[in-house]
Amino acid sequence: MSETIQSYVDYAIELGTKQEVDLILGIGTNAVRNQIRFSSNKVDISKQWNENNLELIVVVGGNQLAIGEFSPRNEEHVKERVNAQIKFANSMSPSPFYQGVESTVSKFTPLVGHYDDKIDDYGENAVSVINSCINEAISEGAKRVAGSYFFGKKNVYLNSSAGPKGSHSSTSYNLTVRAFQEELDASGQGLATGCIPHSAEKKLLAAAATAGKFSRMHKNAQPAKAGKYDIIMSPAVAANLVGSIPNDANPLAVLMGRSALGDKMGEKLAPEFINVADNGLQPDGLGTSPFDDEGTPRQITPIFKDGVLVNFIHSTSSAKMFQGESTGNGSIVSFWTGSKLMAPAPTNYVFENGDHSFEELIDTNRKTIYVTCNWYTRYTSKISTEYSTIPRDAAFLVENGELSTPIKNFRISDNMLRQFANIDALGNDRVQVKWWEVPVPTWISTLRVKNCRLTTATQ
Amino acid sequence: MSSFADLADFGMEYARDQGASYSEARLIDGQKSVFIMQNGHIISGSESPWQGIGFRVLLNGGLSFVSVDNLTKKAVKKAIDVGIKLAKNSNPRDKIDFGEPVSNEAKWKVQAKESLRDVTQETMVTKLQELDKIAENNGISTRAQIFEAQSSTKYLVTSEGTRIEAELSMLKCFGLLTAKGILDSEQRFVDLTRSTGWEGTKTWTEEYEEECARIAKVAAQADHKLTGKIDFVVSPEVVGIICHENCGHPSEGDRILGREGAQAGESFWRDLKLGESRVGSEHVTIAEDPTIKGTGGFYEFDDEGVKARERLLIKDGIANEPLLNREFGVRFGTESNGSARSSDFNREPIIRMANTYMKPGDFSLDELIEDVKHGVLMHSFTEWNIDDRRYQSKYVGFECYEIQNGEVTDTMVRRPIMELTSIGLFSSIDGVSKDRIFDFPGICGKSDPAQGVPVYAGGGYIRMRDILLG
Repeated sequence: MSETIQSYVDYAIELGTKQEVDLILGIGTNAVRNQIRFSSNKVDISKQWNENNLELIVVVGGNQLAIGEFSPRNEEHVKERVNAQIKFANSMSPSPFYQGVESTVSKFTPLVGHYDDKIDDYGENAVSVINSCINEAISEGAKRVAGSYFFGKKNVYLNSSAGPKGSHSSTSYNLTVRAFQEELDASGQGLATGCIPHSAEKKLLAAAATAGKFSRMHKNAQPAKAGKYDIIMSPAVAANLVGSIPNDANPLAVLMGRSALGDKMGEKLAPEFINVADNGLQPDGLGTSPFDDEGTPRQITPIFKDGVLVNFIHSTSSAKMFQGESTGNGSIVSFWTGSKLMAPAPTNYVFENGDHSFEELIDTNRKTIYVTCNWYTRYTSKISTEYSTIPRDAAFLVENGELSTPIKNFRISDNMLRQFANIDALGNDRVQVKWWEVPVPTWISTLRVKNCRLTTATQ
Repeated sequence: MSSFADLADFGMEYARDQGASYSEARLIDGQKSVFIMQNGHIISGSESPWQGIGFRVLLNGGLSFVSVDNLTKKAVKKAIDVGIKLAKNSNPRDKIDFGEPVSNEAKWKVQAKESLRDVTQETMVTKLQELDKIAENNGISTRAQIFEAQSSTKYLVTSEGTRIEAELSMLKCFGLLTAKGILDSEQRFVDLTRSTGWEGTKTWTEEYEEECARIAKVAAQADHKLTGKIDFVVSPEVVGIICHENCGHPSEGDRILGREGAQAGESFWRDLKLGESRVGSEHVTIAEDPTIKGTGGFYEFDDEGVKARERLLIKDGIANEPLLNREFGVRFGTESNGSARSSDFNREPIIRMANTYMKPGDFSLDELIEDVKHGVLMHSFTEWNIDDRRYQSKYVGFECYEIQNGEVTDTMVRRPIMELTSIGLFSSIDGVSKDRIFDFPGICGKSDPAQGVPVYAGGGYIRMRDILLG
């Protein structure tokens, strides 16, 4: 942890406390994030972001709230911002959403296996790792390879006038690699993510190989025919579709009209073999930390147990509103372009692993397809969950227990809750998925969903 | 001029002195006032500085981008040292070339009669409360409004002599509205974003009233399902999203040549011949123009310092001109047409749309409708998506009326679906109205990490023939 950002946080809390605000809570983040972007088999650009940031929550008058953010340059700057924020909070009307933050001082369990001690030297070799990935995809049959590789480190320090104080550090990596044939519509994707970049090379190369192999297998894809199919979803697809349903187990989503689960507590919405938790302590999870943004220890919160909706995630305030208890999911949520809100936010969604091998999943006589990637999921209504999404990259008909004809040009147009209920088999290949279409790290397996609706362009 | 301009100059010059063949600093120094309202209650608010510098460095044909939010000389020097190293290490097989030097010096600004910096917190909150009340009075049961007032100075300086100062003022306001309907909940995002001073809010009440009333009407009345083949007459809002998704995105040069391959995707334009390939009927001419004042996409110089101008993406149904920045101008054997935009100081400038619209035709709306035997007038849309080559698109109608024998009836059609290829869609158009209405403000997303930039889209009404409903 940078001593400077920590001292600025402490100074801000001291200033606010002296002015007798009801709450002043600061989170200092010192992060270095890197990205290598590549396409057409070469590196396009290397990037680094240096972030030195202080998020500040000030509460006056019981529940008049102001949330601000700045990069502190010196103590004078901190003082100016604290005073400005107190003044702003004094002009705010009371927020019914604010009903307090964590006041219990806990001893946090340090993260183990979430920090790569070699991170500072890792960047030197990163371009060569990416070039190896490109070559790996090509050796599997790709003609063109593109992707994005993120890696970096983050130090976080929290100090709250309500009591909690703590810090944690973590590192991470995240690769999206996409391989193409010469034609535009024969492609494959591979993903790899985790916390320790320097020991990730094998996983990165495997992701590249997957992308290359799928692009080769997807050559000469045929237009799919509209109709009803069972769909075998890769972990990437499953995470974006049925794996996103836990997002709705959030009071913020309910209050904003973005949840299908608002009135479904206690209902059985999925088969009994579906168990899902928000796990803030998941080993190697990109959303793992010892405590939330209020200083409540992270925990494992079951959301679906045996297919039944059993819990929402909560912050201290939302728990009071919903007559529950905080689940350690208090967060400063960024909303749209710059708005910030104190609300519950997920950590890692962890689906219980299944027991079917991939061979067992495709061993079916029903009309079935296998989809490896999708994007642009949009809802007509987030409450009734009518939606559509577009498979991209490799997809195949499944016939006689094997992947057969590669297919393209179709859309899954269905209802997400119905699909959640129609999961009929869960694979045993659970992995962590986080990429452009899956913002919350989601641990999920390949799974099979019955009776899904495929549509295609009418002209 | 920002007091941090010297720091941007220092970083740019320091990179050049370290051997960069090109260096660039883009400083943003401003502030954001933000409020979130849910069902009548302000649930969060802040007023924060918005400051940082992004640097690009080109060295031996390798490109790097670094950014700092901590505006100190120490932080900038450290970042540039990293940037030089990253550019050297990237060492691409094909060297990146920005082409002929660009050395524009200019000052431009968004005309703001009432500066956002002078607007009180109370005034902003009162406006939000007014909007929320309108929605409530229209029976919208779940309401969230997100408001943001941004005022900033953008300063771009490059080693080639470009020095551009821009005074910016942007109002963003989104309503996320849910009404209980007779068949389902009806949901709409209402976006009031514009590049303006506070005076831009004067029409918000009227616009919001109209939008909320339409949502309420759809919720209460839209229950008539249609199937089979019909004609569509489509409003400027829907024309706007079509121009944006089916034409603007595939015309982006970086997609066409694969740079967005793993993120936003590639483009079916790759396999077309510019100036020759037909992608629609002769009625289809689609323009892209950042110079339209007041719009979300307004700028006079892009984020590489190139002067903005109109681009004709499709001309009389023929693919005509792609959107290009400096790097892709060279790769297309031409030059930038001023399409580089960056959403923030901590994002690299990439090829983006600004304001995309269909050029007016010769018809009045009545003329378009009177020749339709059986069809749908689609005023607005809800769910939509398109594949990453920008070829397979889907638009679901929101407020839609049945047309019978040349007349719009009161029958509201429920969620008619157009699921069409880009060429199928543009080829079905046989008439465009004389209007140019920008009814679709939006935040366009692209790239990874995501860059959401304000854009506008629109045009006139169009008529599409013989569309088989999805």
